[in-house]
Order: sequence, then structure tokens, then C-alpha cells
Amino acid sequence: MSEQVHNRLAVVRAERKVSRQSLAEAVGAHYQTIGYIERGQYNPSLDLALKISKFFGLPVEALFSLEPFRPLTDEVYGRNQP
Amino acid sequence: MTTTRLTRYDRSMLRLMNDRRGAAWYATAARRRLAVAAHITLTAAIGGLMTHLFLAEGEPLWTIAVMAVLLVPWMVATGVINSATRGLLELRERALDERQSAERSRVLARAHRATTLLLATAVLGLLVAGMADGHAPKAYAGPLLIAVLVVHWLMPLWVAGLHAQDEPSEDDALGTGPLGR
Repeated sequence: MSEQVHNRLAVVRAERKVSRQSLAEAVGAHYQTIGYIERGQYNPSLDLALKISKFFGLPVEALFSLEPFRPLTDEVYGRNQP
Repeated sequence: MTTTRLTRYDRSMLRLMNDRRGAAWYATAARRRLAVAAHITLTAAIGGLMTHLFLAEGEPLWTIAVMAVLLVPWMVATGVINSATRGLLELRERALDERQSAERSRVLARAHRATTLLLATAVLGLLVAGMADGHAPKAYAGPLLIAVLVVHWLMPLWVAGLHAQDEPSEDDALGTGPLGR
């Protein structure tokens, strides 16, 4: 009954130079859980998703979505999807 | 995981269960399966020796010696499985995060289903044996009950060991590489 929640956590985390371990410690989760979320193997609770968003100072919809994310470069440079 | 409520014991267990020095022992699914298979074999061997010790009229000294020797690799295998699962069953609930708590519930549910099936098989086996030989249920009920109890105790560990997943490799680069922590 679990719907896939898409995320761009790995991209944002790499861009901000944050390790899984330090993100996990900041949001009170295990570092493997961050990996599971990034790989789409675990959908975080609303509580955890909000904590992660708060950590990065981003709105939750910038990190998590029910629809697949467009590549960031497409969004930045405004390329239309084919 | 609510770090504020963790006791000293919780924190030391958390450190112990997340100690990655023995990571090579459970790095792949094949190694984890091997550890679980070894654990099951050793448990069966120790259980068999215990049964022999208490039920058969044999010389107990060599039985105890062999059991003591087998207990060492059994404890090592237990440690390997616990490390592979990051203490999923050993840590207290408050030391687990939401994903681990859900995983623990799944593991316990699967183990419960497996032991239910095992119990049903054991009862059926006893009934069939009773039909063939009237004394069989009385003779085998004790050892069988002990065996089922041991399996019921250890089944969650075996299920958790088999369901543990590989460590994500990308984070090593983040943790120790140019991106830092």
C-alpha cells in the first residue's frame, strides 16, 4: 500500500557537502535510513521529511514529491521536457 | 531515534552495534546467508548435544567440552548477524529510528509466521508418530518442545540476518573524501 515518494535528497546532500552520517545525526535517524530514503527504498514519515527539509532550509516539496523530479539543470535553465 | 532519552547503556549498545570493524564479515548477501546458515547449524549441533546430555545415558564430560567449544563460534556468528542488522533486535526501541522500528516489526511478524508454521508441523509430526507408535509422543514431546522453543527464540535473528541489506557505498566518499563530514 506504499506509494513511491520521489526525492532529490542525494543531489542536495552532495551539493551541500553533507554526509549521510551528519544529516542522520541532525535529524535523529540512522545513517542507513538516509541511504534507504535516497534509494527510494523507504518513504520517510512527515515528521522526518520536515526535519530533513528544515535541516537544508528548503520547503519540503523541494526535496520530496509524489511525481518524479525533473533534472535540476532543466529547472535552472528552463529546458522544456520532451 | 530520540537521543535525549538514551541511557548510557543504550548509547554503548548503539556504538557497539554500529561498530564497523567487522564489516567485511557481513558485507555481502552471500556472507550474511553464510553467517545465518552457520548459526543455524551450530544451534542444531549444540541443541543435539544438550539433548544427548540430558536424555541419553552417556559420558557427559566430552559432551560439555564439545558444547563449550561450539559456543565460541556460535557467539561469533550471533555477533556477526547482530552487526549486520545494526542491532535491530538487540537495541531498545528508543534507540531505533522510525525505519528501524518498522523493520523490526516486519522481522518479528515474519518470524512469528515461520514459528507458527514450525509449531504446526511439530504437532502434526507428533500426531503422526503417535499413530504409528503410541509411545512416540511421550518420548519425543520434551526434546521437540525444547527445539521449538530455541527456534522460536532465534528465528527473529535469522530472519533479520537474511533481510539485512548491503551498505550504501557512496557515503564512504562523502565521509572521508573531499566532501568531508
